[in-house]
Amino acid sequence: MANISSGALPRQTSSGINTQVTTEAVRVEQLEKFFPPALAGWRSLLHPLMPATVPALRGVSFTVASGEIVALVGANGAGKSTLLRILTTLLLPTRGRAWVGGAEVVQEPARVRQQLGYHGASDASFYARLSARENLRLFATLNNISLGQMDRRIADLVDLLNLGAVLDLQVRTFSTGTVHRLGLARALLHRPSVLILDEPTRSLDPLAAAEFRRFLRDNVIRRYGTTLLFASHTLAEVEQLAGHVAVLHEGKLLAYDTPERVQTAAGARTLEQSIEKLVRHAGAAL
Amino acid sequence: MIVKRTLRKILSLLWRDLAVARSYRAMFVMQFFNILFGVASFYYLSRFIENSDLRRALPQGGTYFAFVLIGAAFFDYLGVALNAFDESLAEARQNGTLEYLLVTQTSLPVILVGSVVYPFVLLSLRTGVYFAWGIVVFGFPVGQVNWLGAAIVLASSVLAFIGLGVLSASYTLVFKRGNPVKWLFLGLAGLVSGVMYPVSVLPVSLQWTARLIPVTYSLEAMRQAMLDHAPMAILWPSIRALLLFAMVLLPASLAAFTWALRRTKITGTLVHF
Repeated sequence: MANISSGALPRQTSSGINTQVTTEAVRVEQLEKFFPPALAGWRSLLHPLMPATVPALRGVSFTVASGEIVALVGANGAGKSTLLRILTTLLLPTRGRAWVGGAEVVQEPARVRQQLGYHGASDASFYARLSARENLRLFATLNNISLGQMDRRIADLVDLLNLGAVLDLQVRTFSTGTVHRLGLARALLHRPSVLILDEPTRSLDPLAAAEFRRFLRDNVIRRYGTTLLFASHTLAEVEQLAGHVAVLHEGKLLAYDTPERVQTAAGARTLEQSIEKLVRHAGAAL
Repeated sequence: MIVKRTLRKILSLLWRDLAVARSYRAMFVMQFFNILFGVASFYYLSRFIENSDLRRALPQGGTYFAFVLIGAAFFDYLGVALNAFDESLAEARQNGTLEYLLVTQTSLPVILVGSVVYPFVLLSLRTGVYFAWGIVVFGFPVGQVNWLGAAIVLASSVLAFIGLGVLSASYTLVFKRGNPVKWLFLGLAGLVSGVMYPVSVLPVSLQWTARLIPVTYSLEAMRQAMLDHAPMAILWPSIRALLLFAMVLLPASLAAFTWALRRTKITGTLVHF
């Protein structure tokens, strides 16, 4: 792996993760993911169990401390979404291990899901014919929130995310920005210790994206002390929010440090230039 | 506590589907009137072909109208069982909710069970309306029904059919669409299980095939319960066969589903459609 600063390297201990879970929100150790080759049509029927040979993650390791904000950056296909999907238990890793809030993603997926809130880039992630309140109540029930607590939590989040005016309207009538705020409300319903967002502002216009970031930083992260791990292509967003940045390229972690140190280590003036240099250097090394 | 929580989740998924259906009010109401046309078609077909030889050929005697009404109504349970699991998965994939459901603290089997309650409740409501039209407008004989027996046959049938439905969903999970086994099975079951005619009119080989399909036992017992007021002793062989199907199919289908779910988490195709 090129250019990981020593201060951000994962600590390798012989005693395992349990000694560190109190301070680590997320830990990823030598994570690898290979997918079977994508086949279409009759070929997929003839070869339904193709071996996984296409690399998506190659030996990725890092830790995220509690309350930290970490951005995953990299080109399309770098492995950002794959990593987030493994952490959310939607994918199984090929090799390596990962923990969220001290729970191992393969061995204890139910405990992992207790710890995390997740929201992705898609606008369509709700029951469009149901109201925001009906959607939130459904997901609250599925997250084991009792009837007694449900309405209070929904009211708090609605207040926090300015959703009061639309709470009883069908989701299909919402703007994209409102859908994303509702998505954030859903992700926070069960008060997760780790929030995972996959390109949360991808489909937002610049103003809505800025508003969403402000909400996230001021009303969610600062207020609740939640750990945030997010993937983004918007480097301004990364610089604005992230305390650490993980640069991924073709499944490899090229750097994991504060944005400033990534720049210094790469000898670049901006984060964008740093990433370009790192990727070019990695390309030459391959 | 876990049971109570699981029931609450299943009820909330039922409520979700009811709320979505309620948002399409006209369609919801019209389907119950549409049933009248189906019942009327069977009635006039029955009048057209009815004769004393046909009556004697039917296992429980009675009219062809009563025979075919029961056959068509309860065959639908197989259709819904085979489609409901698939469709709930496909719908969640298409509307983008599947991955958000899967990151909740609810397992996929509970989500699936909760998602198929509504189709079965709706079908039961439709079946009730179906028979109500038959009784009120076309004189379906209601005096001979062993209601308790019919309810037990229905419950056993649903258990057996659910196993097939989960198997079908396992296929859909891995291969996404175009479940040929389901269509082949539904086609074969429609041919041999005695929906429109008694199984006894089929060639011997197809009669044997019929014995391998749970809906054959379901229709046989349902007609005995509804047209003959058959006691439990008569119904028991069919109920036992249905329970045996359920005992084999339910664990097998859960194992297949667990494998399919793991496979899609390896291939990364869980939310693909």
